[in-house]
Amino acid sequence: MSRLTEIITSRDPQVRDRSLGEVCGSASTAVLLEECAALEAYRHTASNLYEQVRALFFLYAIHRFYLPHAGGIARRGDIPFDGYADLLNRRFEEAIQRFLAIQDHQGPHDGISSALAAAYRSLGFQTLADQVRASVRSVRGNQWMFRTGHPSDHPLRINRRLLQRTDGLFPVMHERTPVRMDLSHSGWSDIFFLGMDFPEGARVLNISVDLAVREEGTTAAPTPPVEAYVRVIDAPVIRLVSTDLRTSIDCTSFAQLFDFAADYLGLLKAAVIASGIVPPGMEGAHQPLEELLARMIGPGLGLEIVSQVNGIPKGSRLAVSTTLLASIIAACMRATGQTASLDGALTEEERRTVAARAILGEWLGGSGGGWQDSGGVWPGIKLIEGVVSGEGDAEFGISRGCLLPRHRVFTAAEVTAPTRARLQESLVLVHGGMAQDVGPILEMVTERYLLRSADEWKGRREALRLFDDIIGHLTHGDIRALGGATHRNFFGPIQTIIPWASNLYTESIVTRIARELGKDFWGFWMLGGMSGGGMGFLFDPAVKPRAQTRLHTVMREEKRRYQDGIPFAIEPVVYDFAVNENGSWGTLHCGIDALMPRAYYTLTVPHLLRRDPRELSAAQRRELEQLTASSRSVPSLDGTLQGIVDRMMPDRGAQNAEELSLDDLLRRYGFDRTHHEQIKADLRSGRIGLAQNRLPINTEIDDVDAADVADCTAPSPEEYLAIGEKALAAGSVAVLTLAAGAGSRWTRGAGTVKALHPFCRLGGVYRSFIETHLAKSRSTSDRYGVQVPHIISTGYLTHDAIARALAAEENYGYGGGVHLSPGSSIGLRLVPTVRDLRFAWMEMPQQLLDAQAQKVLDSLHASLMDWAERAGEATDYTDNVPMQCLHPVGHWYEVPTLFRNGVLQRILEQRPGLKHILVHNVDTMGANLDPALLGRHIASGAGMTVEVIHRRLEDRGGGLAKTDGRVRLIEGLALPREEYEFRLSYYNTATYWLDIDRILAAFGLTRNDLGDREKVHRAVRDLAMRMPTYITLKNVKKRWGKGQEDVFPTLQFEKLWGDMTILPGLACSYMAVHRERGQQLKEPAQMDGWLRDGSAAYVNALCSWGSG
Amino acid sequence: MKVAKAIVTAAARGQRSLPLQTLIDRDGQQKSVLGIVIEEIMRAGVQEICLIVHPDDESAYRSVAGDAARHVTFIPQHDARGYGHALWCARDFAGKEPFLHLVGDHLYVSRTSTGCAQRVVETAVKESCALSGVQATREALLPNFGALAGKRISGKTDLYTVDHVIEKPSPTEAEQHLITPGLRAGHYLCFFGIHVLTPAIMEILDAQVAAADRVPTISAALRELAGKEKYLALEMHDYRYNVGVKYGLLNAQFALALSGNDREDVIAMLMELLLQREQHARERGPA
Repeated sequence: MSRLTEIITSRDPQVRDRSLGEVCGSASTAVLLEECAALEAYRHTASNLYEQVRALFFLYAIHRFYLPHAGGIARRGDIPFDGYADLLNRRFEEAIQRFLAIQDHQGPHDGISSALAAAYRSLGFQTLADQVRASVRSVRGNQWMFRTGHPSDHPLRINRRLLQRTDGLFPVMHERTPVRMDLSHSGWSDIFFLGMDFPEGARVLNISVDLAVREEGTTAAPTPPVEAYVRVIDAPVIRLVSTDLRTSIDCTSFAQLFDFAADYLGLLKAAVIASGIVPPGMEGAHQPLEELLARMIGPGLGLEIVSQVNGIPKGSRLAVSTTLLASIIAACMRATGQTASLDGALTEEERRTVAARAILGEWLGGSGGGWQDSGGVWPGIKLIEGVVSGEGDAEFGISRGCLLPRHRVFTAAEVTAPTRARLQESLVLVHGGMAQDVGPILEMVTERYLLRSADEWKGRREALRLFDDIIGHLTHGDIRALGGATHRNFFGPIQTIIPWASNLYTESIVTRIARELGKDFWGFWMLGGMSGGGMGFLFDPAVKPRAQTRLHTVMREEKRRYQDGIPFAIEPVVYDFAVNENGSWGTLHCGIDALMPRAYYTLTVPHLLRRDPRELSAAQRRELEQLTASSRSVPSLDGTLQGIVDRMMPDRGAQNAEELSLDDLLRRYGFDRTHHEQIKADLRSGRIGLAQNRLPINTEIDDVDAADVADCTAPSPEEYLAIGEKALAAGSVAVLTLAAGAGSRWTRGAGTVKALHPFCRLGGVYRSFIETHLAKSRSTSDRYGVQVPHIISTGYLTHDAIARALAAEENYGYGGGVHLSPGSSIGLRLVPTVRDLRFAWMEMPQQLLDAQAQKVLDSLHASLMDWAERAGEATDYTDNVPMQCLHPVGHWYEVPTLFRNGVLQRILEQRPGLKHILVHNVDTMGANLDPALLGRHIASGAGMTVEVIHRRLEDRGGGLAKTDGRVRLIEGLALPREEYEFRLSYYNTATYWLDIDRILAAFGLTRNDLGDREKVHRAVRDLAMRMPTYITLKNVKKRWGKGQEDVFPTLQFEKLWGDMTILPGLACSYMAVHRERGQQLKEPAQMDGWLRDGSAAYVNALCSWGSG
Repeated sequence: MKVAKAIVTAAARGQRSLPLQTLIDRDGQQKSVLGIVIEEIMRAGVQEICLIVHPDDESAYRSVAGDAARHVTFIPQHDARGYGHALWCARDFAGKEPFLHLVGDHLYVSRTSTGCAQRVVETAVKESCALSGVQATREALLPNFGALAGKRISGKTDLYTVDHVIEKPSPTEAEQHLITPGLRAGHYLCFFGIHVLTPAIMEILDAQVAAADRVPTISAALRELAGKEKYLALEMHDYRYNVGVKYGLLNAQFALALSGNDREDVIAMLMELLLQREQHARERGPA
């Protein structure tokens, strides 16, 4: 029996909890391959879901982390395109079989292991997600909703009391629900997968809280942050209204309700469906929605469902969206007789049903949350624990734990009133304002947990011990000790399990607050998946008011300090809070009290007033009358009429300011209007576009021969090392870091500067990309006793921020000379054409998502195509903050910009012996002035030497190819067919060694010409004309409301430096380097693998951090 | 155990005129709904019948009951406090004896030679306990019925011990509490409208009526009864027609006619009606 299958199947926890590393850390290639074969065979026969999944994750980890570093594994080999296509279409099992067939045929190699790792990992997560969905469907109380497919079969009826009008008004069902916060930080043990595998370890201390955003000059008392309203209306529609998103729709068909991304009301739709009003089984029903409403409510009647979130911004880590789902579901269940009472609290069983349906709603809407997220439905302070599945449970025999946990509300005897009061007096809740994506963190936690990686597993056990301490401190009323425990938890096990839970911004705040408040600061505590958004700070109650004020100031200052490099969604916020002892609470408003909240009327009444009064229904007229009367007497409706008037008056001022600002920017950055108009005309006529980026279909594209590329993954010959070291010692080499672009895959279009992002703790301190690159140059400078000039190319998006950061940090102590090379080219983004969107989304192979998420995405794509048509295809994209409307025009310009802006000339004047420049992207962390590579470049006599790496599955976007017999770099955009990329063994790292004089010659220039600006300008423009122009689609974020974000696809053009390899007059050579050097960090989700596979340590070893 | 008495409730708002409606029974005779119900009871061997009526309705009921009126005791329900209260009004009539209970707006058509009420009474006597007729009903109809959860008694195909009763449950409640093994998915045991009840039910209703803040309900009382004494459910495969719903009377009439002496005539009449309609529609052509 293999050792790994023994670990998986053992009943003995000592064996079962052993880590993969124990077995694989020192295993030979042969042993690893044998274990893989055994696991592969085992997973097909395993009946227990979690044993299958653990085998899949073991297989993933072996192929990702162990085999690539094992001896005898070939670097070069095929990855079949068909297998890749299977992965995109979520046919993971088929993909695995294709990859294994290649492995059998060609022997193990780096590329196929990368493909197998991706396929095993995806299948693992898919299996887990499928199980959660199956469990959600099989929860008693949810099953009927999946088999009700026809309006005539609908078994729900409206509660008769909601039909009884008083004073002409239908009663209003009002649900108020607190949000939940996790006082313990559960070590992410509320992830469904974890709770279902290790229910004993899934424990959460969850508190229902009311909140008020603390603002200067106001003293609002905390209230339940989430509210839902339901009432009968005299129109046969389901009317959905979100007062905080300021939007409403009337749904008249089933299709409209199941179209989640067509508008902003996807969450409300998911809640209506999960509540059973329109059960999920009715998706695709062709009957009119009116038929169902007539059966459930009465002929000619419908339902209005209103949601309201009171001032809590997105990303609060307080589970606002799950709470909102739960609140609407609870209100809808009350309205349709699925609860015992219309008023007051829910019963325990009803709460559990609401929680199960909120999970269902999340699945329907394509989102996800943890199993404690509906905690606000329960009152007060409670312990939520995983439940071991037993006979009669749907999960029995499939997973060890049940889908739904058990909630035990602490009594007043267990956690006394004074303790609750002390907690409130000590705790300051904040939203740090950072924009975050916790999805990758949750995947990392699951992966590490299933692998039982030694350190993380130890961290998890430590977190469980701390959890017991926290419960103990709470029941003993010792809030100070509790603060100490949450603090230790964050700086201990949480970061051991997931280092990315912390960040420089959070730690700067904690450090400052700890310094300023000293012993009065009792501890920090992270809410939710990661820090930077919702956070808690515990203080001595005596200093709480001062602490609140200081925290607000410190957060704002730290935000200003880091906002160039760290994405923020909102200004930091401090809350006042109170423990909510009710949980979700219903109230039926009747008669003249049956009114909606103020925000509802300011949103909806302007539309009503613009209509002919005769078109209004009797109920609408009556409601307006009552609103007019009540707005004078009911305090909560105070100011409603003024709000309605304000909303009806257009606000022009802000728009003018933005338009002017964009024009200013365009002028400032030398926007070429003539060129822009030409591109627009060409796009409209179809002369250029995404499809036209491609080379002609008859272009022959082949892989290069072994002789075309120098293999530098093995130690280089001494002669090259000597040449390189001599050149370095002579001071003939400079570095150019390309940092003009925003790095939109990294920043997700947030408009921050990737180069300044403090992305990782290296040498014990958070370092930005720029600081890391300078540290490598410092290391070279120190070693060879020279000062290496380090040039950073900047653009309109990055220049000011990088200049500010370098000034503030004094070039991070780098003494070799840092030169900024500001770009002078800019483009204006365009609204895409529907043709290009279709090409990108329908004709190019796309990653198919999980079935429900794919439905949501398809619906989003359809509405974005509508948007493009409405906004005007190929027109200027101006409906955003000005900086988001501009785009950089590609890194081809960044080298010639050195000639144009005089930077190269100035450096050459100071260092006439400078002969070579290493050019690399800001995210190629391993690129440095390696003497052996430099020596080989010099020895080759090439004008440009390109570094490539052996392709892995994730290396997409072109590579090194032979096109019509000529070796060149080819962009993925230019490949005539997608599958051609899979013929190419090498991927472009975008690291280039340039011979300055030969490159200048390619432009028709010499060093002496650099002073002649006109000549340089002409030479650059002439060569630019010969370079291909690519049209690309970029997602751009538009922020609005309280941290809400929309992402719009926009068109832009770019020229790329790799195309220099097609110039006949420029001799190019190619070197294959190892992955640690050549890989690029494009997305934050890569970071965990980068840290774990030794890449981070490799980079750290290249750096000299200096004394700063 | 002997069942000699029956209680029929007919005082509900909106249902008061239903027992007065006239139908052609299976034997081809014109009868009132009440008359058919009384026949159903007497077929079960029960001779003493109590009818709970609205105080204004007694004379009308007495007139349509005809000769059978001599078997009937009329008891008015003065306070309109619902179904449970109506049954409670007959507590003195029931005394300390078990009784058969039916609702006045339902008609029953047996598929065998044994009457529906007769079968319920015979089984109750045999088992010597309270017993309700039930029928497996799809969940779409739950808003119309009381429903229960039961366990099939070993060795019997149609008898269940009753665990839990809910009046008009939501499908969510039904799924959580009323799943009965052996039934098809989405089907629940719903009351057929015929019960044999023991004196304990009147004691339970007594307590419910005394609690001023509660509306007495049969379902709640039956739920309590299930906890107190042996209470069984008998699965019926016969037909039940609620004459109180839209087209209910028409439906009941068809059902009676199609299972009676005039079956052939009625089928011919229906066929002719349908053919005429079809022909007419064809002549008019597509809309």
